Amino acid sequence: MIIHLNYLPKAGETGAGDVLGALFALLDQGRLDPEMLPHLRLHLDWIQYKANFREPVTVRRAADARGERMALAELAVDLRRTSREHVVDDLASALASMGTAPSGSAAASSRAGSPDHGDRVVVDDWVPLGDSSIWQFNRLFWQRLADWERQSGRGFEAALPSGRSDANDPAAVADAVADFWTLLVELDKRGQLPAEIFALEIGVGSGTRANLWLDRFKAIDEARATGFYPRLRFLLADYSLPTLDRAMSAVAAHRDVVSMIATDALNPLRALSFLRYKILYVHLTNVYDNLPVDELVRRDGQLYLVETRAYVPGPLARTIATAHGIGTDQLRPTIARLLETGPDLFGDRERGVAFWRAVWDGLCLEERLRHLEGTADVPLPPGLHGDDLDELLANAPADIRFHISRGAVESFVNTVPLLHPRGYLQVQDIFVATMDEYRQGFRGPGKLDGSVVNWVNGALLRAVGARTGYDVHFAPFRYRPASRTSILYTTLRE
Amino acid sequence: MAGHSLSTAVVGSYSMPAWLERAKNDFLRRRITAHDLEEMHDAAVKAAIKDQEVAGLDVVSDGELRRDNMIDYFATRLPGVEIDRGSKASYYDFYDSAVRNRMPMAPLGLVEHFRFLRRFTDRRTKVSVTGPHSLVKRIRNQYYPTEEAFAVEIARIMNLELRELVRAGAEQIQIDEPYYSGFPEDLPWGVRAINTLVDGVDARLSLHVCYGNRYGKPSWEGSYRYLFPAILEARISQITLEFARRGSEDLKLLKEFDAPFTLGLGVVDVKTHDVETPAVVAERIREALAILPPDRLSVNPDCGLLHLPREVAFAKLGAMVEGAQLVRRELGG
Repeated sequence: MIIHLNYLPKAGETGAGDVLGALFALLDQGRLDPEMLPHLRLHLDWIQYKANFREPVTVRRAADARGERMALAELAVDLRRTSREHVVDDLASALASMGTAPSGSAAASSRAGSPDHGDRVVVDDWVPLGDSSIWQFNRLFWQRLADWERQSGRGFEAALPSGRSDANDPAAVADAVADFWTLLVELDKRGQLPAEIFALEIGVGSGTRANLWLDRFKAIDEARATGFYPRLRFLLADYSLPTLDRAMSAVAAHRDVVSMIATDALNPLRALSFLRYKILYVHLTNVYDNLPVDELVRRDGQLYLVETRAYVPGPLARTIATAHGIGTDQLRPTIARLLETGPDLFGDRERGVAFWRAVWDGLCLEERLRHLEGTADVPLPPGLHGDDLDELLANAPADIRFHISRGAVESFVNTVPLLHPRGYLQVQDIFVATMDEYRQGFRGPGKLDGSVVNWVNGALLRAVGARTGYDVHFAPFRYRPASRTSILYTTLRE
Repeated sequence: MAGHSLSTAVVGSYSMPAWLERAKNDFLRRRITAHDLEEMHDAAVKAAIKDQEVAGLDVVSDGELRRDNMIDYFATRLPGVEIDRGSKASYYDFYDSAVRNRMPMAPLGLVEHFRFLRRFTDRRTKVSVTGPHSLVKRIRNQYYPTEEAFAVEIARIMNLELRELVRAGAEQIQIDEPYYSGFPEDLPWGVRAINTLVDGVDARLSLHVCYGNRYGKPSWEGSYRYLFPAILEARISQITLEFARRGSEDLKLLKEFDAPFTLGLGVVDVKTHDVETPAVVAERIREALAILPPDRLSVNPDCGLLHLPREVAFAKLGAMVEGAQLVRRELGG
């Protein structure tokens, strides 16, 4: 057995010794097959988000391309959420679901992910993480934000772990405006400033940041009499029309220079192709961390794709079903209808939102590791090439679980063609800047109030940037102590 | 030499296969030998020639597939240029290169690659070279007193190579100077360097000026107006410009300044994967015919096809040839 210890618990919390003691006890009791041990990995990770899609003890089996179970097995324990009293039972229950029979036996060769996975209501089929229904929940949240917020009683920014968005930090916004204004002055000096100055904000949130930015830009422009503001064409882009409407209200004072456009963050080029090579500044905050992501795992030199299956634990599933007057067997189709049609599914929106919130609250992800023959089998997002991945892996820790931030990559490659030859992209988000950082813990997905959050693989974006003609850099967000946000910015690659 | 009416050609480069990119990177990382890479280059060049022929081009190139990029192919051949071989992570990056002493005269070895091209096609051929202005913008000058002096020295060395190319049968030589658009203030000395480069070179000489195609995107934006009138001093027979992506507005400059050149008209946008229809290409040619007669017009993509997938590049060339044929028929040709 290999133990990956990435978290030293505080006093009073369950420790690695407790977990090991529990495993030895199970071994003594014959509830853990000693033949499993050579292939078992115990992960005691720092889990980035306390609210996530995992139960305190999670089990992961490897499966081959046909779904047949392989020897590799992983036990992941969230020490912050496991109590000393329950750790033996939690482990026993997880091991029972894993199957403890020796490899090669009938039990061990049963299909991984068969329906016999304990007391739970399965919501998905086995799919790569990026295709999980959690992303449909995520999309629904942004489309029906007002409904959710009305019932939760608080705005989505107040529900963030820090209680506010770093997007709206006035000092950060002021610096961003100053950088942009400097670029404009330089271009103007060389006679290269276009008549119309395009700037784009993708993922507009409440519109607070855009308004701060515009206020500041106008103030600088007026103070220095540069005459840029009237030439500004500031575009608010979001895939949620209600969000755009809200943001437009926030920037009402700048209505003459602002337009809004419904845009999928995955492909801004589709809606904005008429602005190819024209936009001088593109900014996104907390968009990449909210886009679909896959995960790859490398163990003993072998590569695996993380597949997931969403479920609601049995007791909670029964509670939800009872509360909404449906049978437990109706839960899966009802959730499917919710994701398809929105919260009006019961003919009573409030009841629909309550159902939605309850399901989201309880939603978990079962995981398995699908073996891949090599990087050629990895489903790559557009813009990421196999040899980029090979190079990343060549320089990554041997044992690693990391994100293929496919939504972020797709968004990036479909955004940079909008940039003017001297333009730049700026993204405030949570980035893993090097592959080595993946050694240090589990970086998501985490569960926010209604939406998904995920750290973004910055090393991957750096590789994709190099291929598209941009050097990608990461600067710490120095405006709020202990902030985990970084600022990605591009410079032209010569 | 006069151009052929609406003759079709590539600007220079053809689609770079992903497998060749990988091989170039493998070579850079010492995973394959120079011999292996050269065999792959030969195969890729033959395929590029064939694609151009099948697409129906009148004038073909070797697709520039042996080149890492437009600078290093020359920087590594120019005598006296010191190259830091560890300075790039990907084949497409530029080497860190510098000149620290007076550059000696020596051959660059372009003739061998031209002969390879000649051996595998009966069509007319084109050889492209990066111009001295663009080269001095990437090779650090630590010897010559001015950029102009450095550029003229490079031009003097490359002039011998161009003469060798002509002796080997090269009829059409194109000089690429995309950096003009980024440094329009350099144009007067940039043209003097061109004239040194082409002195005594008995070939159809064209000058290609675009707004950059590094990583398949423009490096600058603006108007070709900056070229005039300085460019009229260049001793070239053709100027090759991009119009498909940028629109035809600047065509009128040729008339306004009574430019003596034939025009290589960019009719295919190399920065989008959308394939033009022959009708669109034909319309772009007709717009140019309002300015210049057909015997002063050749047809080409805006720039190199390097960054386009092969199927897109091939389809664009096919549409370009068909569009030119449409107009030729209208002209009774």
